[in-house]
Amino acid sequence: MSLTDSRPANGQTTRLSPERTEFVLLSFEGPDPYSRAGGLGVRVSQLAQSLARLGYRTHLIFVGSPERPGYEEQEGGLLRLYRWCQWISRYYPQGVYEGENEKLYDFNETVPDFVADRLAPPAVRSGRVLVVLAEEWHTAHTICEVSDRLWMAGLRHHALLLWNANNTMGFERINWGRLGYVTTLTTVSRYMKHVMWGRGVNPLVIPNGIAPEALAPVNPRQVSALRRGLESGGGRLLLVKVGRFDPDKRWLMALEAVAQLKAMGRAPRLVMRGGIEPHEYEVLGRAQALGLSVMPVHAEGEMTATRLADVLASHPTVDVFNLKFFVPDGLLRALYRAADAVLANSGIEPFGLVGLEVMGAGGVAVTGSTGEDYAIAYHNAMVIETDDAREIAHGVARLQDDPGLGERLRRNGQETAARFVWPRVIEGMLDKLDFAAQLQGVRWPPAPAVEAEGPGRAREAAAAAEEAW
Amino acid sequence: MAEHLVIYTVVHQPRRLKLPAQPIPRGAVPRDIERCLFDERMNRRYFEKVARTCYRPASDLFLELADRGLKVCIGFSISFLRQAEMWDEDLLARFRRLVQHPNVELINVEPYHSFLFYVDIDAFWRRMRQAADYVRRLFGLRRAPVVTDTTEMFMSNDIYFALVRAGFRGAFMDGRPWVMGWRQPSYLYHYTKDLYLLTRHYRLSDDVGYRFSNRSWALWPLFADTYARWLAEAEGDLVTIGWDFETFGEHHWKETGIFEFMRALPGELQRRGVRPLLASEAIEQLGPRSHHLPLPAFPTTWAGEGGVEFFLGNPAQQAIFQLMHHVYHKALLTRDPAIIDLAMWLLQSDNLHLIQWFGRFGSEAEVSAYFTPREWWQLGPFGIIHELQQVYRNFLAAMDASLTGEVRYLPGEGPTPVRRSVSRPELPAVAAGMALPTGTDGRHEVAAAGGAPHGPAVAPPSPPRTRPTRRR
Repeated sequence: MSLTDSRPANGQTTRLSPERTEFVLLSFEGPDPYSRAGGLGVRVSQLAQSLARLGYRTHLIFVGSPERPGYEEQEGGLLRLYRWCQWISRYYPQGVYEGENEKLYDFNETVPDFVADRLAPPAVRSGRVLVVLAEEWHTAHTICEVSDRLWMAGLRHHALLLWNANNTMGFERINWGRLGYVTTLTTVSRYMKHVMWGRGVNPLVIPNGIAPEALAPVNPRQVSALRRGLESGGGRLLLVKVGRFDPDKRWLMALEAVAQLKAMGRAPRLVMRGGIEPHEYEVLGRAQALGLSVMPVHAEGEMTATRLADVLASHPTVDVFNLKFFVPDGLLRALYRAADAVLANSGIEPFGLVGLEVMGAGGVAVTGSTGEDYAIAYHNAMVIETDDAREIAHGVARLQDDPGLGERLRRNGQETAARFVWPRVIEGMLDKLDFAAQLQGVRWPPAPAVEAEGPGRAREAAAAAEEAW
Repeated sequence: MAEHLVIYTVVHQPRRLKLPAQPIPRGAVPRDIERCLFDERMNRRYFEKVARTCYRPASDLFLELADRGLKVCIGFSISFLRQAEMWDEDLLARFRRLVQHPNVELINVEPYHSFLFYVDIDAFWRRMRQAADYVRRLFGLRRAPVVTDTTEMFMSNDIYFALVRAGFRGAFMDGRPWVMGWRQPSYLYHYTKDLYLLTRHYRLSDDVGYRFSNRSWALWPLFADTYARWLAEAEGDLVTIGWDFETFGEHHWKETGIFEFMRALPGELQRRGVRPLLASEAIEQLGPRSHHLPLPAFPTTWAGEGGVEFFLGNPAQQAIFQLMHHVYHKALLTRDPAIIDLAMWLLQSDNLHLIQWFGRFGSEAEVSAYFTPREWWQLGPFGIIHELQQVYRNFLAAMDASLTGEVRYLPGEGPTPVRRSVSRPELPAVAAGMALPTGTDGRHEVAAAGGAPHGPAVAPPSPPRTRPTRRR
């Protein structure tokens, strides 16, 4: 099929304008603390919010907290949150992936009809194309069913369907032939693109983004408090590691590096925050085997940087502080900034959102070297290329010995992060979606007839469509 | 020559299981277990389709025939009534008008269309009694039905006495030669004088119910005058005809002429001196000269070849049958009426009927495959069997929480959730503490579908050559 000129005549750079486009994001993870287990929750929350702030009506369907409303509007009604599977989540209070199979069944069974029956018709009546962006393997079957339902409703040609891979989990459960046929596949890094070639598909690369707030200055008092706490407790190196307890995150390597730095007499303290995954027990077992003292830290009331600093200060014999509470963004960014290094040393990292967030907070990221397209060794990050813990220990020791290096990495890292804020990522994304829309033969539905008669009538029509919805 | 005719028709829709099996959350309350077990969206889809093609036009037809003097007996499974209440009150109102017509007699039907008689005969007769009271109230009748049908017209020695205990005066049974022996079905029978037996003339019934639209049948097309003549010429004094209600418009589409056939039938019967009776009238008039019929130990049914092998003839059916026992017995242990109610639904004979095709060939298998929801076929034959079993396994596991006290009720929720529908009279639950039947000891493991000795012999179905008599 040949491409036609996709540029609209009115001087806009994309046909995917807020007036003619409506987004639906399908994801297991979402903005609720209950719904966040890894980078996906952060990604979809920020992407949805950014789209809404750019004026796009955006629906985010995710496995939400059973304690929150099933439906909620934000950003002046442009962002609409649908907390799915709540009747199941009430039995599984630990988080989004507890009761995963039960939720998966319900999600696959009920979301397609909702999208095709409740979201698509009013969008099309309002002259909008529906862009459905499904995230991760959990939604692969869902989006195929969405496609089928839209066909049956005669609306498929008014919808652009995309499926995005943020990592390789669950790839074995995906019907790639069907998925690649009904959607345009996307992924977040060149590394992932290469991995997916092996599945016989060639996704478009649309990088992850970070919220503009991720570039905001970190409260220096919090940073100072944490540094003081570290030093009062006899520590000289503050290391931080955050992520799911997954072998791919190389927790064991991080602990071995801590043990090596300790053996080198550099008095490291590791503050770590994992998920509910069983790999935690292996991690804790390795810490014990390495002679590291681990202390679980529970939050009683709100945990602040000052309180956490007190914890560090009052436990001088503890090497590893295992945070067992949801760490709020403010405290997390203070930890990133206060740390000598944040160990985002994954062995396999599809994108490495943590590394970018660390850069945004002005921290020093120690990344792996797979999907972290943004990381350049000794320019904006320490990039680890082996699975040898000594490489981390070597790099961190170098940072401790050469404060100028650390300062340079922090400065360049922030500049890098600024290029990945969502509004800038979305700008590029829209262009790729425009191309994908041509590939899928998407046709824009006619704008409501009254639009030509003046903006007032157009608003009335929009209100009527809204009411119908 | 048969002077009397009883026409009986039964309305039923199964409560289909949700396939693939939906995993049940740990600690789920019965209401949430229920939504995982049954595919109500599919049930509604089929219900609405059959309502359009059959229930509405056929209920109008029978009302018209009743107005013209034709006497008809009609029964409803509660499985059907429940769906009508939820999705089509207007249809229920039509049936109510029909049932209240003086020329129509309401027949009691086993409420869940289940195999409860096999699993717990004591609970069976209680439920039959409760069902009679229930339909009396639902249809606004002064007296409860005195004549009853059972699931798929099953009848055996023990079922007979259970019905006697439930207080019925008459019951339908299929008049298959292997049960009747040298006798003709076209008489009124009894085993004891407590309960009369209206034996369905299966050949004359199937001429309409099964063969009416079969163009390869040597006697096609069948017209009302011919059929009335056959009825009149039957040996005996009472011909009992039994049909699925879905015969009219669903099994045989209206284009086949089935409605016109029925409209012409009363006149043709009258011309030949065949007098339609209500079932209770037949008992009243012919009871004194009814004949003794020995009852078989193995039950007879109007399905398939008339024996239980239609339901239990292949390993996949036998595995489900075992699982039926397990879920029911475990449900009794919970003593939770809502859980027991769910187990009763899982005893539905349809869950056996729909997999009769497994390892089988021929017209019966075609009929069975025809009734297997087409949505299931994407799972493949083995997949259907596996997932069907999985529904039972999931329910078995879900009941753990009831026995360990780990059901996670929300504040305000009781151990017996309120039923969704409040408009219909409640069917009382089986009393807790009933005598438990002897259970299996677990030696007979459920035959895994993959390990079944015979693979699936029936391919995903195309419509059978003939319209089947069994119901969708």
